Amino acid sequence: MAFAPLDPILHNQLRLAVMSLLVPLESADFNFLLEKTGATRGNLSVQISKLKEAGYIEVTKSFKENYPNTACRASALGIAAFEAYVAAIKGYLGG
Amino acid sequence: MDNNLTPEQSLKVIESMIGQAKRSFSRFSFYFLLWGVLLSSAMLATYLLRDLSPALAHGAPWGIAGVLGGIISSVHGARQGRSMVVNNPMDGIIGWMWGSFVITLILIIACSVIAEHDPGPVITILTGIPTFMTGQIMRFRPLILGGLIFWLAGAVMHFTSDAYLHTLLYCGAMLLGYIIPGILLKREENGLRTA
Repeated sequence: MAFAPLDPILHNQLRLAVMSLLVPLESADFNFLLEKTGATRGNLSVQISKLKEAGYIEVTKSFKENYPNTACRASALGIAAFEAYVAAIKGYLGG
Repeated sequence: MDNNLTPEQSLKVIESMIGQAKRSFSRFSFYFLLWGVLLSSAMLATYLLRDLSPALAHGAPWGIAGVLGGIISSVHGARQGRSMVVNNPMDGIIGWMWGSFVITLILIIACSVIAEHDPGPVITILTGIPTFMTGQIMRFRPLILGGLIFWLAGAVMHFTSDAYLHTLLYCGAMLLGYIIPGILLKREENGLRTA
């Protein structure tokens, strides 16, 4: 039985954590992702950039109460990729 | 963070993060505490002023509580919206549910005033719906129990016209349905550090 290949963009702990947080939400700020993932600012920025380059998330930069703010939301492409990844993982686990 | 994930580890990450995202609601405790205190105070004032003119006893405390609560809630909501760090679609559903409840409330109060009926028992029963539903959506048991208490108190209020008993039941329901769940929710929100 052939297993579906796992999406290399999502098969990374931090990127997978970010996508898992964003998929059920409409949007989330950088600080929320930072707090929930427990990652460092630098690493999270890098992984968010990779997800953005892949078209899996949309990133909006703005000012909130006079401070720069980065908001992220999962794109339709990202949600589809996440669902395919979850299906593939379930296949590996025999689900 | 480790990049060599096994399928089990991937699933664990997904479950843990989705669980955290789903529990990330806006801070609603403020509204339960505010309205719990305001409406209990209005009911107590209505009871204490019951020997005065009906307009003063029934109209003024509820009018003051409604306007004051509306203004404070709007200002707080606007501030909260500006500082929100996460946008959970369930927040919108909870907001619309309470909004439709307020419209229902206004209509019932207006109709009851015209028909010269006491809207208290019906309003108490109706308060159970958004309280219970908010508790179910947030998976927060004190609010679920609060909803049940409003239903029970409202039903009992239908079978008595005694002002003291009405006050006791309404204020008791507010305490157990809004104020205590509000305090418990505030503690949980501070622990989870949500929006």
